[in-house]
Amino acid sequence: MTPESMMETVCLDITESTKTLFETMIMMDLKYDEASLVDDTQIKTDVIGMVSFTGKYHGVIALFCSKTFALKVASALLMTELNEFTSEVKDAIGEISNMIAGNVKTKLTAQYGDMHLSIPIVIAGEGLSITAVNNHPVVAETTLSCFSKDPWLMTPFVSNNEKFNIGLLLRESNK
Amino acid sequence: MPKVLIIDDSAVMRKIIQRNIQQSGLLVDEFVEAGDGREGLEKAISNNIDLILCDWNMPNMTGIDFVKAFRSSGQKSNIPIVMVTTEGGETKIEEAKSNGANGYLTKPFTPEQLKSKLGNFLLVK
Repeated sequence: MTPESMMETVCLDITESTKTLFETMIMMDLKYDEASLVDDTQIKTDVIGMVSFTGKYHGVIALFCSKTFALKVASALLMTELNEFTSEVKDAIGEISNMIAGNVKTKLTAQYGDMHLSIPIVIAGEGLSITAVNNHPVVAETTLSCFSKDPWLMTPFVSNNEKFNIGLLLRESNK
Repeated sequence: MPKVLIIDDSAVMRKIIQRNIQQSGLLVDEFVEAGDGREGLEKAISNNIDLILCDWNMPNMTGIDFVKAFRSSGQKSNIPIVMVTTEGGETKIEEAKSNGANGYLTKPFTPEQLKSKLGNFLLVK
């Protein structure tokens, strides 16, 4: 399987996993479009929920969304109205990212052998951009540094009239 | 009435599991929470726990390391452990069961799936 076709397969797994999550624990409507390659300079976001995986293939699965969407989806998950961006909202975004990545990882493991999943990292701010910088001692950036020239394969979603994206960076290990 | 220990590094997930158990009609008297396997081990030994629900990927001590440590401690060996985790692969399920886990539930889950898995260990109203 070529890396390009594998990335397409993983994107389908991401869509399927996100759909399952929204149907079982979030109970919000969900629409999605085809994935496309997005350069990191084009990414502007408020919240990033990121999980990395290592094994025969290594990569990052990241949820990019606005604060408004983060509040809506955390409220739905917790069945409580949340109006402020608290640590509980960040925790919820981390768990959502974790459940999507975990299910993708299970599918990848079945095909390519065991993989290790990281604990989720959540970054929140205003109009964040994401750039992979080499030789930088920040964990999130170190995770991304090996992909510094790779574009994200981004799947766009819409739920509750809010857009969000799930991005994928993927590479065969030792290459 | 039973006391349930929930080991998960996400406070949100601990809250969701509690809410789902309460809404499903499963009888639980008290929930005890732990944020990783190490804290879970202390609480499992020092409390009168009837059922343990345990995540897999956690800092300090993972869920599988908790299962191994708790089962090899020789203490309270009859307490059932159900893994509640995003790790859904057959190999992981086998590994958990061969080390002493009694049940396995993959996240995300519906309230019905949770009730079905825990119904073997808890009474229903």
